[in-house]
Amino acid sequence: MSSIFMKYAVFAFVLLAATGASAAERLKQVTAVYLDDKGGALATPEGIACDAKGGIVVADTGNGRLLKYSFKEAGISGGSEVKVQQLPEPTRLQLDSKGDIYALDGKLRRIVHLKGDGSFAGYLDLHGVPAPDPQIRSFKIAADDEVYLLDVLGQRVLELDPSGNFRRQLPFPAQAGFCSDLALTRGGDLLLLDSLASTVYAASKGGTEFKPLSKDLKEYLSFATYLTTDSRGTIFVMDQNGSSLVTLGPDGAYTGRLLALGWKEGQLYYPSQICVSDSGLLGIADRNNSRAQFFELIK
Amino acid sequence: MKQRTEILIMILLALLYVASAAAQENALLLYKLKPGATGKVCMDCHVNIQETVKKPFVHTPVKSGDCTGCHNPHTSSHGKLLAADSKEICAQCHATVIPPDARSSHKPVAEGNCMKCHSPHASDNRFNMLRAGNALCLDCHKAMGETIAKVKHKHSPVTTGCLTCHLPHASSKAGFLLKDEVPALCTGCHKVDKPIFIKQHMNYPVAKARCTSCHDPHGSDMPGILYNDVHRPVASKMCSQCHEDATSGSPLKTKRSGSELCKECHSDMVNSTFAKNKVHWPLLGKQGCLTCHNPHAAREKGLLKADLITVCGSCHKDTIQRQEKSLTKHDPIQKGNCMACHDPHGSNSQFLTNKASIIDVCGKCHDWQKHSTHPIGDKVKDKRNKNLTMQCLSCHRAHGTEYKHFIPFPTTSDLCTQCHDQYKR
Repeated sequence: MSSIFMKYAVFAFVLLAATGASAAERLKQVTAVYLDDKGGALATPEGIACDAKGGIVVADTGNGRLLKYSFKEAGISGGSEVKVQQLPEPTRLQLDSKGDIYALDGKLRRIVHLKGDGSFAGYLDLHGVPAPDPQIRSFKIAADDEVYLLDVLGQRVLELDPSGNFRRQLPFPAQAGFCSDLALTRGGDLLLLDSLASTVYAASKGGTEFKPLSKDLKEYLSFATYLTTDSRGTIFVMDQNGSSLVTLGPDGAYTGRLLALGWKEGQLYYPSQICVSDSGLLGIADRNNSRAQFFELIK
Repeated sequence: MKQRTEILIMILLALLYVASAAAQENALLLYKLKPGATGKVCMDCHVNIQETVKKPFVHTPVKSGDCTGCHNPHTSSHGKLLAADSKEICAQCHATVIPPDARSSHKPVAEGNCMKCHSPHASDNRFNMLRAGNALCLDCHKAMGETIAKVKHKHSPVTTGCLTCHLPHASSKAGFLLKDEVPALCTGCHKVDKPIFIKQHMNYPVAKARCTSCHDPHGSDMPGILYNDVHRPVASKMCSQCHEDATSGSPLKTKRSGSELCKECHSDMVNSTFAKNKVHWPLLGKQGCLTCHNPHAAREKGLLKADLITVCGSCHKDTIQRQEKSLTKHDPIQKGNCMACHDPHGSNSQFLTNKASIIDVCGKCHDWQKHSTHPIGDKVKDKRNKNLTMQCLSCHRAHGTEYKHFIPFPTTSDLCTQCHDQYKR
């Protein structure tokens, strides 16, 4: 009996691996954060970043500041404020390998670099980027601190070294509608999110062009604006207008839809950014619920 | 050569006659009809058809007395004893009215509603049309008819007939049933090398430009049938304000790209927009202002490319669709007035609303909610979320839901018991 079960289990595993399909993700609610360490309420947070050591930064956009938390077994603690005048409208956030914070300012449309302690280190100045001057919609920082910018004016993704020196550029696909975000896989492939066509494009590491990875996902997405991946290759697509998360396998195939619109904990209302740490913590800047929510990823 | 053509026509006519005779023969065999009974017998009862077929243009099967070509004399599953569904029967003979490579097709044709334009038996008009000339088209295209009637400057082919430029069934060459692509269609009449044409276009090489980006092909109140809203530099023939000089190597190239070009004149608007916390992203994109506006002339005010539902809906399709599916309609959206609530350029508020507070946005129309409503405002906490205060969007979704009153729950009690859970059944 048990040998028959084993045979089927092995067959199912081989089939799953052969098709590149990934098992559906599930989320276990951890907590929601509403306040800073002094009891001040969050207001329309648009950004969130988290690292493997449990460091979390939230862009408290409505209050024009960043808040630093940490995640340990006991839960989320902290909430110290980082407020610098050079960052009046923090939106999307990234952390580099040293724990430095990079924030896209929605008003200045520049990337602000802050040290891990919150002190202003400067703007990320770009050097040698071919015309036109980029209009940055989004950005990502890779594990090796390379910087990737989504330039909506130049219709391209720019690859820069950590100092902002131009390395190369990849044009958006000719058929792209409006691209809102990009992401990197752990293997170094670049992903691009087309909000209008509800499609994810991919360019292999070192590749020169984006090709459709997913099919048209309009069936599952209303208006997606954010994209990220986890260490297991799952692609997370943040459906802002649909107030939910859609997951795709590494091959771009739809694998599931998580969470739904609402005001109670565990529900989303126009979410803005998500972060996924290597330890399996998933944080969401739940923008119009004016809070950050945290979940544990369960396969 | 001429003799050969005549022989060919004779053969074709003979074949047509043989085919018609064969059809009648088949009907005779199929229904065991008496000779001549395929049509003549029908007429004995259907006397009104006797009058109809006296009209100058008679459908070939009717003319040849082949009523059974379309009707079953005994029984049928279709109305009027038709031998097939009324939407399919014409295609049994006229299968090629929509060619396989069609780029556009007329909706009634695609849907098989041939009788919206044609009489199946006979008519006073060519091709058995129900009405002659533009009158038939304007029966459906009423708004177009009204526009054509009142415009000051008419495009003469429109008066001559819609079929000067459009095909009635389908077009393999262009959209909108046009006989050819623009500008090829236009340059068939308007010779681009004529001095007057060159002068009117300020020596710019517009021969390959899209004429309909400036001119309304159905006529307008503006000279040169330009669209009614003309960009001031175009109206004053100052093309070089935006474009390179006409004598330059790249005369159609603009002097700057994106919103930078528009900023040259509209600096106040562009500067104030870009100073806001949230700029509508397309403004910063490659197309810049031209994502929504036409640079030369437009039918809509503000040089908009189309009405706001179409312009906004070209990206925010999901939002517009939500309203379409909504059981309760929101008036500004129904009227295409997105700007009643949103600033399309930029705003300091979420959703690019034109007021900071949602209560103030809604209160512009719903003023009653300021004095007789569920408690709302900055001092009323939302019981579901301690960081939120009660406002209109706490219970409603402004673009509608699949339920009544824009609420995101199937019933009102489902909504209310979100907070008032003591009343939950």
